[in-house]
Amino acid sequence: MKKFKEALESGEFTITAECGPPKGTDIAEMLGHAEHLLGKIHAINVTDNQSAVVRIGSIAVSKLLLDMGHDPIYQLTCRDRNRLAIQSDLMGAHILGIRNVLCMTGDHVTAGDHKTAKAVYDLESVQLLQTVASLNAGKDLAGNEMKGATNLFQGAVVTPEANPFEPQMMKFEKKVRAGANFFQTQAIYDMEHFERFMDRAGKFNVKILAGILLLKNAGMANFLNKFVPGITVPDSLIDRLKAAGKEGALDCGMDIAAEQVRMIKEKGLCAGVHVMAIGLESKVPDILARAGM
Amino acid sequence: MIITKAKEKEAVLDSLKEIRSVFLLGCSECASLCGTGSPEAVAEMKAALEEAGKKVNGTFIPKTGCQVLGTKLELKPFKEAIDASDAILVMSCGAGTQAMVEVFKDKKVYPANDTSFLGNMTRYQQFDERCSMCGECIIDKTGGICPVTTCPKGILNGPCGGTNNGMCEVSPDIECAWAKIYARMERTGELEKMKEIIPPKDYSKKLSPKVYIVDRKKEEKESK
Repeated sequence: MKKFKEALESGEFTITAECGPPKGTDIAEMLGHAEHLLGKIHAINVTDNQSAVVRIGSIAVSKLLLDMGHDPIYQLTCRDRNRLAIQSDLMGAHILGIRNVLCMTGDHVTAGDHKTAKAVYDLESVQLLQTVASLNAGKDLAGNEMKGATNLFQGAVVTPEANPFEPQMMKFEKKVRAGANFFQTQAIYDMEHFERFMDRAGKFNVKILAGILLLKNAGMANFLNKFVPGITVPDSLIDRLKAAGKEGALDCGMDIAAEQVRMIKEKGLCAGVHVMAIGLESKVPDILARAGM
Repeated sequence: MIITKAKEKEAVLDSLKEIRSVFLLGCSECASLCGTGSPEAVAEMKAALEEAGKKVNGTFIPKTGCQVLGTKLELKPFKEAIDASDAILVMSCGAGTQAMVEVFKDKKVYPANDTSFLGNMTRYQQFDERCSMCGECIIDKTGGICPVTTCPKGILNGPCGGTNNGMCEVSPDIECAWAKIYARMERTGELEKMKEIIPPKDYSKKLSPKVYIVDRKKEEKESK
């Protein structure tokens, strides 16, 4: 299997998945999930204190997954670190052999489990992308020469269903200019909307991976619609999940995800998919098989 | 203006546990507008302290509590009452409270309020935060709306993924700063300007404690 960057650059339909480090030092389960995905995906994202909940750091887990044989995409947010810490972490990731970084501003601490923490946001996603570009060019953010540059393939996120949409698109363009090579999108369900998004985003010289989030049941779909900004699950899909009943809902959700992956590939809508299964990573190979991958 | 919120009465009384007598100060500027240092608030505090068994030796509402020299002068007639008090309880902002710390070198001085933010009074006794005094105003680039202050993440280059039908993911009561900025710059015909990438902020401008001395010699020269 090609490495992530090679796959994207060769034009191969690229598949990434995601793993969330646990809170605590028992990582057996997480590593088990990751093992299921070996050889099935081009890269695996490692989340950074996802939802502002304290967990194992993303560099450490990325390194373990690298040793396992994965090509990790190390996620880095601006919430918990100032520009000094961010740059030293990026250099640290490089010397450990990590080669992909996903740059994000990060969920606010108010969303997480340490609500009284001081949120940092010394930089934000666009400036973080510029920071990586600068380190890759051998200079730190203050313009000082480095002894040895980083070599990090940097990406960003975008929300195709954002409302309002135009400001989101303007930021997308800024991220492209700031040096993003690839984008992994927020979960998408409405393919017509996504095609419209790709009409705009496809004009830029960047690779886009569509976010596919496994729906476990109708309750989850309703929760996403109600509480997660930028995600819209159409009623038709919710009806299908309901009709599948309690027993069949997950299977139905896997079918839906597989149909999305297949359609994106067949229509050539974008460079690949980013499949998120939130704790059900073991189902990802099955989803990909159903999609004919 | 500086927005203050009154501490809970229990918290104030707790800070005054060892104190038998107090001199009570309000402020006729911001704290009066906030209702935390107004004549009514001071009278109410006096009653509460007396009910709790404290002796209130006097009350006064200075013109501008944070103006150190002026307030010192205004308080001269109260010297005896202040000398006789174990502590001064100040119902203004943190600046006004510390002005008293500066004037009364050997006197205990306690705050009755929490100092919250620099606010615009948008309705009667409703205050909204628009500026966080970062020391480097960039709102010429953002349609006159400050993202440093009105976006909880202080994002300088556009909305995050948490923008939610024009509202903010942090709270359904907060409008998305970048949705507002975009809408306003669209109205004012400045959308091209919004494409500019704003660099990281210079936080050395925000380094505390700050001192600012107006260059009077320069002013005098200019007036001649």
